[in-house]
Amino acid sequence: MRKHYRLIYFLLVVVQVMLGNLLNLGPYIIISLLPLLILSIPIKHNDAAIMLITFATAFTVDFFTHGILGLSVVALLPVAFLRRWIIVLVFGSEVYSRGEDISVKKQGLVKMILSLLIATAIFFAIYVWVDAAGTRSFGFNLLRWFLSTLISAPVQLLLSGLLDMED
Amino acid sequence: MAGKRNSTLINAVIFIVLEFAAIFMLYSTRSLQNIWINKATHRVLGLIWQGGENIKSYFGLREKNRALSEENIRLSEALRRLQGQKSALTGAVADTLTGHYKYTPATIVKMSRNSQHNYIILDKGSADGISPKSGIVAANGVVGIVEAVDERFCYGITLQNVLVSVSARIGHHGAVSPLEWSGRRSNLAVLKDIPMHIEVAKGDTVWTSGFSGIFPPDIPLGLTGKSRTVDGSVKEVEVELFLDFSALRYVAIVDNQNDYGMGGFEE
Repeated sequence: MRKHYRLIYFLLVVVQVMLGNLLNLGPYIIISLLPLLILSIPIKHNDAAIMLITFATAFTVDFFTHGILGLSVVALLPVAFLRRWIIVLVFGSEVYSRGEDISVKKQGLVKMILSLLIATAIFFAIYVWVDAAGTRSFGFNLLRWFLSTLISAPVQLLLSGLLDMED
Repeated sequence: MAGKRNSTLINAVIFIVLEFAAIFMLYSTRSLQNIWINKATHRVLGLIWQGGENIKSYFGLREKNRALSEENIRLSEALRRLQGQKSALTGAVADTLTGHYKYTPATIVKMSRNSQHNYIILDKGSADGISPKSGIVAANGVVGIVEAVDERFCYGITLQNVLVSVSARIGHHGAVSPLEWSGRRSNLAVLKDIPMHIEVAKGDTVWTSGFSGIFPPDIPLGLTGKSRTVDGSVKEVEVELFLDFSALRYVAIVDNQNDYGMGGFEE
């Protein structure tokens, strides 16, 4: 699996582009796999590199989706910036000292879903707010943020096994 | 520890640069986000400019207060001059001294308020034409009398000093008697030696009489209050002063230009 990490990462980016272009679940629900991609980047990478990878990933998704160029980038960069804080908060600082990667097998289902919920909530809070650009009511944005986070986080959990670096 | 701090700082800088790049992309590609970002930018800039202006205004208040005080003193002087001219024209008692006071705005450098012999130091001295025995006034009352002068500062004793006595009149045409600080409360003074046959109503306005030659006439001093008989021969009337010494910052020094050496007679 380790050998195929980059390939799977790339494939999940393609899946995200397809979801963005082909899947329409109404105005309140958006499915995004991007927070999972950022959380799954191996621990050995430093934060600056992770932010550059994030920028490239989100830019690619924005570019190939009939969306707004920069929207995913704006929303995903804070997730990358806060990634270390999320990991330490949910999994503990030992993850960094042991150089352990994030996976359901190692950290458990509860911690994994919790970390995905936090990352996805941050992502959608910015995404929904910027996408509305002041044209939608607070109630609409709140419901959209809530439903998108609630649905995207379990979807990401299901796909997280694919990015597991363990053999 | 320093390395960790540096790395956090570098990460923050990278994050900000990339986030700005993303915002720029948003700004240049879609009109809705473009308008929204424009609006947000203008709001932020407006708040920054407003904050800057508020700070600037705050620090400019002292100068504005000084200018207003000087303007107030100039207007008071003009008003008193016109009142004197009006009295002369209508044939009423023409006070020839009324229009001959020179007003010099001054700022209080130091003023004591907690003893029986309170004093004041002002930022004007002989270089500004100030001489001893000049009056110190504010818009709503008498502050004190200049006692000593050096080149840049002058020293005076305030009305809150038991040694100071101001010639005062009850109403514009009532009895004249000396007004002294009671020494009990900061804004309580006493009109002394009022003959028994003179009736003083509560709430009458007390003005400077102008008889001393130090203060111009018709500066409002306060309102009459309770009266009492002293030694069975004269009355004393309490006066609630208009002037709040604790809020005082700017004053004017009045110099009688037509003194004609009256001080010498008085002495």
